[in-house]
Amino acid sequence: MRAAPTLAEGFPDISEITVARQAHWGRWLAAAAILVVLAAIGRAFVNGQIEWTYVSRFLTAKVILEGITNTMVMAVLAMALGIVLGVVVAIMRLSSNPVLTSVAAGYTWLFRGTPLILQLLLWFNLALVFPTIGIPGLWSARAVDVMTPFLSALLGLGINQGAYTSEVMRAGMLSVDVGQYEAAQAIGMGRLRALRRIILPQAMRVVIPPLGNEFIGMVKATSLASVIQYPEVLHNAENIYYANSRVIELLIVAGSWYLLVVSILTPLQMLLERRFARGALQITR
Amino acid sequence: MTRLSFSVGVAALFVIATAQAAELPESIKQAGTLRLTVNSTYAPMEYRDPTTNQLVGLDIDLANELAKRLGVKIVWSETPFAELIPSLQTKRADFIISGISDRGSRRETADFIDYLATGPQFFVLTENAAKSPIDLCGKKVGTTRSTSFPVEIEKWSKQNCEANGKPAVQYVPGENSIDVRNQLKQGRIDAAVQGSETLPYAQGQEAGKYRILGEPFSTGYQGIMFRKDDAALREVVTEHLAAMMADGSYKAILDKYGLGANAVAQPMMNASTQ
Repeated sequence: MRAAPTLAEGFPDISEITVARQAHWGRWLAAAAILVVLAAIGRAFVNGQIEWTYVSRFLTAKVILEGITNTMVMAVLAMALGIVLGVVVAIMRLSSNPVLTSVAAGYTWLFRGTPLILQLLLWFNLALVFPTIGIPGLWSARAVDVMTPFLSALLGLGINQGAYTSEVMRAGMLSVDVGQYEAAQAIGMGRLRALRRIILPQAMRVVIPPLGNEFIGMVKATSLASVIQYPEVLHNAENIYYANSRVIELLIVAGSWYLLVVSILTPLQMLLERRFARGALQITR
Repeated sequence: MTRLSFSVGVAALFVIATAQAAELPESIKQAGTLRLTVNSTYAPMEYRDPTTNQLVGLDIDLANELAKRLGVKIVWSETPFAELIPSLQTKRADFIISGISDRGSRRETADFIDYLATGPQFFVLTENAAKSPIDLCGKKVGTTRSTSFPVEIEKWSKQNCEANGKPAVQYVPGENSIDVRNQLKQGRIDAAVQGSETLPYAQGQEAGKYRILGEPFSTGYQGIMFRKDDAALREVVTEHLAAMMADGSYKAILDKYGLGANAVAQPMMNASTQ
């Protein structure tokens, strides 16, 4: 039992006064208005010209499942290619060799400077320029046998992603304190070993959120590969509605799959962030 | 006095004549415009002139002539081929005249007024060894994936290849006619399929590049698509189209594009048996 604090002379005792609750009329009104609008939208979709039986029938159709599998395979592989290229190009950008820095800058300029769909079409139609591809004296093949829709999409998406990822990686490496570089040098580490063992592990912590962001973008960017006949989920959904004219239903099917995938990816990113934040300050969001 | 009675008489005759003629729907008459949507990747039916970037083509000329006779202006818009039918349903377009084949499967939501004989036709690069369509069994054949041609190819392959113990045609999808021809030039596919009405133009553009194999392997019509509940508009357009066929202006437009052989004698409703 602590003694109640004594009031200083001349001050009224306000400890017993009940505080009146403020009425937040604006908040209530806004919330009500939003709920009404949401209910109206929901009702419109229920009563709209949508044959929900088609949606449920095609949600798990074989061709749609194959499509979403292809979407994910492409997104993972293209992102992996993008990260590998991004790390290499970021290291080149921070090198002191002028050839390396300008090649890296040129790569970023070229592949960030044109639309992704244009790059995909270029890869797909490469055979118009180079009918055969090969290594002189070792191996050669018809360009079209090499540049399948799959490989055209992988190269187009991956190389384009590399240009963006290189900037993310560069930012991550710049975020590591310069003292870390100096300390690694002081104990006799070479530049590449210092990068691998000291700098990049610390940079990873910083680049995970933007990379997660980029990957979610990549999942959806794969849909552009539908124009070069890579059978991802949107391409396959389109093929179905070309045949049965159920446009909205099939777009809802494809959209639901994208939403589901992105909803699963978000918590996965959290786990990755935790893993790379070991030993650092546990920053809770 | 005589002049007055004469003009009254003429006016009476005129009223009788128009009473029998179909009328434009009120909304179109009020606006004075017809909203039409085309997919401009299908020369010579509808395409953008490379030098002027204007919409041109056989369908464009036919529609312009119809609009002139109906006394309305056309507001053109463009869309992918696959979105033509949705555009009609959502009333983005009043009707569709865009190189679209009259097919039973498309009549659920629309009626066709057929105005041009057509059919899918195989073609190859000139240097290809194939002598006739039957040589394409087991080969890769490409066509635009949003059209009716993939189904047609499959049907043809069943009847001509598989029925005779030959391997089936391998269908390869393309995004539009230009993409399909690109795939052909690169050797991605051995042969391609387009509507017979578009092949003379493609051959004219790239002289000596392509060789047509055989006749169109199924016969059908291209039609103007109307919404089922839009009988008034359908009737008035059909009437003017019939008049154009009778007075030779229809034939003149077809001849301009070298497609006089694809002419039909009169507009027919849902006449295609496909």
